[in-house]
Amino acid sequence: MIRFDSASVTYPGGVHALKNVTLEIPDGQMMVIVGLSGAGKSTLIRAINGLVPLSDGDVTIDGVSVRHAKPKQLREIRSRIGMIFQTFNLVNRTTVLNNVLMGRLHDAGTMRSLLAWYKPEDVEIAMLALERVGIVEKAYVRASNLSGGQQQRVGIARALAQQPKIILADEPVASLDPPTSHVVMRDLQRINRELNMTTIINLHFLDLAKVYGERIIGMRAGELVYDGTGAEADENVFRDIYGRSLTADDMLGEAAAAG
Amino acid sequence: MTAATAPRSARPSRPHRSLVGPLALLVFAAITWWAASDEFGLNFDVPRLFTNLTRGAGILAEFWPPDFSVLPRTVDPLLETIQMAVIASVIGCAVALPVAFLASRVTSPNIVAYIVDRSVLSVVRSLPDVLYALIFVAALSIGPLPGILALILFNISVVAKLLSETVDGVDQGPIEAARATGANRLLTVRWAVLPQVLPNYVAYSLYAFELNIRASAVLGIVGAGGIGNLINETRRFFQYDKLMVVVIEILILVIIVEWISIWLRRKLV
Amino acid sequence: MTIPTASRPPKPSQRAKHIATGLVVLVVAAAVLTVDVQIERLPDLPGALVRIFGRMFLEPGPEWAYLPDAFGSMLESIQIAWLGTIIGAVLSLPLGFFGAKNITSRLVSNIIRQLLNVIRAVPEILVAVVVFIPMVGLGAYPGMLAIGVHSIGTLGKLSAEVIEGIDTGPVEAARAAGGRPLQIQRWGVLPQVLPEIVAFWLYRFEINIRASAILGAVGAGGVGEALVQSLVFRRYDRAGMVVIVVIVVTILIDTASGWLRRRIIEGGGGTSRADLEQPELVEVDAVAIQRP
Repeated sequence: MIRFDSASVTYPGGVHALKNVTLEIPDGQMMVIVGLSGAGKSTLIRAINGLVPLSDGDVTIDGVSVRHAKPKQLREIRSRIGMIFQTFNLVNRTTVLNNVLMGRLHDAGTMRSLLAWYKPEDVEIAMLALERVGIVEKAYVRASNLSGGQQQRVGIARALAQQPKIILADEPVASLDPPTSHVVMRDLQRINRELNMTTIINLHFLDLAKVYGERIIGMRAGELVYDGTGAEADENVFRDIYGRSLTADDMLGEAAAAG
Repeated sequence: MTAATAPRSARPSRPHRSLVGPLALLVFAAITWWAASDEFGLNFDVPRLFTNLTRGAGILAEFWPPDFSVLPRTVDPLLETIQMAVIASVIGCAVALPVAFLASRVTSPNIVAYIVDRSVLSVVRSLPDVLYALIFVAALSIGPLPGILALILFNISVVAKLLSETVDGVDQGPIEAARATGANRLLTVRWAVLPQVLPNYVAYSLYAFELNIRASAVLGIVGAGGIGNLINETRRFFQYDKLMVVVIEILILVIIVEWISIWLRRKLV
Repeated sequence: MTIPTASRPPKPSQRAKHIATGLVVLVVAAAVLTVDVQIERLPDLPGALVRIFGRMFLEPGPEWAYLPDAFGSMLESIQIAWLGTIIGAVLSLPLGFFGAKNITSRLVSNIIRQLLNVIRAVPEILVAVVVFIPMVGLGAYPGMLAIGVHSIGTLGKLSAEVIEGIDTGPVEAARAAGGRPLQIQRWGVLPQVLPEIVAFWLYRFEINIRASAILGAVGAGGVGEALVQSLVFRRYDRAGMVVIVVIVVTILIDTASGWLRRRIIEGGGGTSRADLEQPELVEVDAVAIQRP
């Protein structure tokens, strides 16, 4: 279980990115975070794996504090959390397989990872991850030769290769077109259900949030302003979270649940 | 009122002419005068230069035709030149890799390592290879070893500086992704940074090899092995026609290596 | 939802990579095994190095009384580099124009470029030792001339490349206004290329400082000679002083010149090759590395 306890983040410039957030996320939940840019979504998600350090309060995962974890401990915590990024963050110059194997770096050991001398079991895990997202046939293709949607699936495979307990996704579909976005969101939904993996997703498309979010969290100016189910979240709710009326940009459009 | 005319805007006053230009010119002229004067400088005098050159031009005739009988004696030194360059390149480029990573804010573990590494790099870079060779020849004896050492230092300074600047500009996205998987710094550098800079690294290494060949050809002049030794020998006995052969060989070697290096670099890009 | 079962692809052959690696290893092994270095003496190496560096910098340490002389020699090296760079700059500018294929014809520019390449290929020390010292004797002159001649090669090539990269707009405008060829060069081409070319001159000066220090080692004046003298007479304390002077002065000049170069480029408008690729301060055609 992930727990936020009055967590706050203040950046060096004085910006209060997170203000006193208290939150509990039970295992296996699919949670979506919505809010304007700069509302604190990215900060919230990165506080979970410590990529953004807390200024106050704490975040604990199954009772272990992220804020006070020593470097080695932090790496251990991170290895059990898979992260997916808006810009995919793949190493463009190398193969899909090598990218996915990055998920095995922590578990495979420094020496073996350094020399790319992976044990067959590690390669197998990577291959299985690729099969799960349906692009194993591209294993030896250079990452930059794939389409956006395919690259994001490699990103998901990389996260899965870690054999994580939690998946964090920071605007995973913002760079993708609508049909591909749905494919990726459905992949994430499937992984959440089949593997019972806690999945936390930042989205700025509200219609997607409503459809895929078992639970929706609204952030505004660093504060938690809404916490409810996808069914309950309607236009008024979103308008409150955004603090303005909604525009077309806030929707993905194109039949929110195609296929 | 007559037909409307466009309102006359006041003409802007001429902006103050920047003093920088003329000042720079003044400084330039002053330095040049200082460098060329006979009081402080080199006593540079164009007419005298010409008389010197025309008088000396006669010597140039002694270089031609080249005396190819010296060819067999040049084989070993030439090979030694290549050996020195190869060994120095391999060791130098290998060591330059970690040095470069320490010298970039992106990959350096802490600010102390960064500052120390960059400072040492600055210092090492400011001594040219021949001066290192001189010191090493004095410390060890003449032969290729001091030359190899000097070239290694030179090599590291060139490649590490170039590479560290490339590392400064890498895409940080993969780095964040690697950190998020729980990888330590070493693995992050290996898998998120190195693949991005590898083509550049190879280009810089090939380039450093070119420089090494050029340098190793002349290090022998100060006793550090290679074909430069032969230059001294032939010069000592005023055998300019034999010296010409050595010069031609060096030219050919340098040009061939440059061609190969450029061809390889093109293929890799 | 079923995932279509695709078969796993076979691992691609790495033959080319293995062959290339094998070749490199072979060449390196050959070099290591045949080089004329006595392996038994290698363990002595660190000790000998520590000893000489100790004598130079620690005990007895650099001879501070020698500072004025060392500094004077360094100044001489600077003068040699300065005048040499001027010679090179002045002579390379017209050659740069002739070597640019958008100014002259393709044939002429090619010939000029090849000529510049040959000049570039000859290390300065060779030019000095082989040509100018026999001609004019030892001292600062041959050093200056050697540096000048070699600089023509690099500066000529770099200038030609800059000129080839210009925006043709101003040139057309100058031609349309009825300018004569020389005027077109002066007003259409020169203003665009001058900042970048001047930056190259400055950075060539930085390199030539090192070159002139080297040339001293063969008797062409300057701080190289001071170093040789002190080493020959085993005055390691003096040698240490010389090295310190060289390092300090070189770093100062590099920093000042680098700052100046950046100001010039920014003043000329925009970033240039010299700045973007931040040329290495040794014999570098920065552009040449990225686009051979």
